[in-house]
Amino acid sequence: MTIEKVILNASKEDCTGCSTCAIFKADNLRHAIARLDGISKVKVDEITRKVTMEYDTEKISLSKITERIEKLGYQVKILSPEENR
Amino acid sequence: MREHVKGVILIVSLGIFALLGVLVSGAHVAYAHETSIVLTLIAVALGYRIYLHGIRSLRHGDVTAQLFATIAIFISVIAGFALPSASATGTAEAVGYLTASAIVAFIILAGMTLEDYIIHRTRGALETLIKMSPTTARARRDGMEVEIPIDKVKLSEIVLVKPGDKIPVDGTVISGHSTVNQATITGESISAEKTVGDRTFAGTMNENGALEIKVEKIAEETTLAHIIQLVEEAQEKKAPIQNVADRFTTYFLPIMAILASSVFAATYFLFGFEVALARTVTVLLVACPCALAIAVPVAVAGTIGNASMNGIIIKGGTHIEKLKDVKLVAFDKTGTLTVGVPKVVNVKSFGNHSEEDVIKYAAIAEKFSEHPLSKAVIARATETNVKIPDPRDFKTIPGQGVEAHYGNKHILLGRKMMETRIPEEANQFMKRIESEGKTAVSVALDKDFIGVIVVADTVRENSVEAVQRLRRIGVKTAMVTGDNMLTAKAIAEQVGVDEYRAELLPEQKVAAIGELRKGHVVAMVGDGVNDAPALASSDVGFAMGAAGSDIAVETADVALLGDDLTKVEYAISLSRKAFSRMKGNIAYAFVWNVVALSLAGFGVLNPVLAVVLAEAGCLSVVINSALLLLNKPQAFVKTSREVPLRDDLR
Repeated sequence: MTIEKVILNASKEDCTGCSTCAIFKADNLRHAIARLDGISKVKVDEITRKVTMEYDTEKISLSKITERIEKLGYQVKILSPEENR
Repeated sequence: MREHVKGVILIVSLGIFALLGVLVSGAHVAYAHETSIVLTLIAVALGYRIYLHGIRSLRHGDVTAQLFATIAIFISVIAGFALPSASATGTAEAVGYLTASAIVAFIILAGMTLEDYIIHRTRGALETLIKMSPTTARARRDGMEVEIPIDKVKLSEIVLVKPGDKIPVDGTVISGHSTVNQATITGESISAEKTVGDRTFAGTMNENGALEIKVEKIAEETTLAHIIQLVEEAQEKKAPIQNVADRFTTYFLPIMAILASSVFAATYFLFGFEVALARTVTVLLVACPCALAIAVPVAVAGTIGNASMNGIIIKGGTHIEKLKDVKLVAFDKTGTLTVGVPKVVNVKSFGNHSEEDVIKYAAIAEKFSEHPLSKAVIARATETNVKIPDPRDFKTIPGQGVEAHYGNKHILLGRKMMETRIPEEANQFMKRIESEGKTAVSVALDKDFIGVIVVADTVRENSVEAVQRLRRIGVKTAMVTGDNMLTAKAIAEQVGVDEYRAELLPEQKVAAIGELRKGHVVAMVGDGVNDAPALASSDVGFAMGAAGSDIAVETADVALLGDDLTKVEYAISLSRKAFSRMKGNIAYAFVWNVVALSLAGFGVLNPVLAVVLAEAGCLSVVINSALLLLNKPQAFVKTSREVPLRDDLR
């Protein structure tokens, strides 16, 4: 098991005008990622949609994860891939 | 869930501190006011989620209700310390301002948490689906039967499924016989029979028999995983009506800025600084742009979630809006309105042979034939539990039929009867059969004409009901088919569609849909593979029986995972309901804001009342949208009768 941590930005043109919407959308995103096999931790910031997660490189690749996020209509920018901590 | 517990603890402690603050301020103890101020300030501070949200969203360029609330609470707290009236009459006044802030923070926080919770519940449908995903499988390892985690299952290996177990993978049954409840996938509550060669889906429930299944798809590739992914993606897709709501929210900031400053200015000149301040705070608190913005996404999530629990995948908010306008549904015939597999629908004997004899001899002769018509005959014979002995000298006569020997008898079967004399009565009967678009197969025994077997594709048992339900909600129906006029006419009459078009090549089907679309919003229902072009050219394309066929799910706007056609009407009715609710919610939220803002502007409300109003407005919209999840389809009651045989054919 090799756990890797990654921080990325998921952005989308939509209104997160208030907490309810923002939380609703962040929650959707968090759920979709957390459900994937090999993800051990995931946090999504409600306002900035910064995604912090840990995943098992033997089970899932980063590109598989970003592909899934993009499928949900987000643009993904990887902020910090920290090599094998 | 943990999040919600945390939220509730925050709210409760905020409330306790605020209450203590009020109690201490009235008590006759030393430093009562000072203690009270500290307690109340702690209470206000516990509303930090609101301020964090408000301030951070501003940095992100958004303007939110939380920002207004933060400003309002901040002003209130400052006022408690700085206002001349507060310092002049001692700290009691200060406590008053602070208490109001604490109460406001309490209500907003409670509202936020409650809304989060309800919205979380909207995902219930998806959560249910995810829970259906199996986590373990039973496989053979080193000759032993062991339970292994699902991610250790390999493609093409054999998994064992006991009665009452969840089926762990998509695959094919290689041994065993059982019934499987596939409601998770197809939304159909009636269990399906599974035996060697049948496909199974991960997440469905094995009932009474043991099965051995060869693994074909695992993990994210299974049909269940695809459904979950599709629903996730669909919920993220905006409905066009959302743009209306978004436009309102963009204008909200400038409108609020102008409004708040004019209220302040007007009240300042009329009643002085303190009243002006209180009123401005009230105006900021009463606004709830949120109700406008959240109405549609929650309704879309509720609708798509509801549909997915009923075996319908609506692939986005756009389709909900299109579906509500559908005025005509065009069905493909073969495999959609009909089962798509020929079946013996009638047997007529001639001479002194019984109908059983006719079927028996026909089945013997056809035993080794691969023709679809033979399969129909053999299926009928097997139904009546007749043992079919092997024929001798089986021979196909191309384009005519088959012949074979059984014992010392010669059996001839087909359309042409060689030198056998066909009775006039039989000739007439067969002509009528063919005029109805069915196929007549003659059977001769030792050159004696003994009977006719009528074979036809049969209408699916829910087709008639599906068409009737559509008619009930004012939607017309049509049938488009590549089949010949006679068959088309017969099926169209049986199903009861309003119109039909036959002998269409695939590109002519597209043209036919184009014609139907003149003046109507048209939905097309087909299998999603052969009909892909026609589905694509309609306003809303329904693929049916889509479970297990990725292409079908891909091409369709709406995928019916089972083959219950009555779900077409349900999808349309649900969408109508959902859309009217979205529209209603937007209008309601708009009016609510206008009324509440006017009341606040004219000083009818105090800050606490204002915040109660705002939260109530937002909550009612969220609840109203989320309730779409509870909608239920009218069940299709399976009747025991198959397609009715017309009396004149008996």
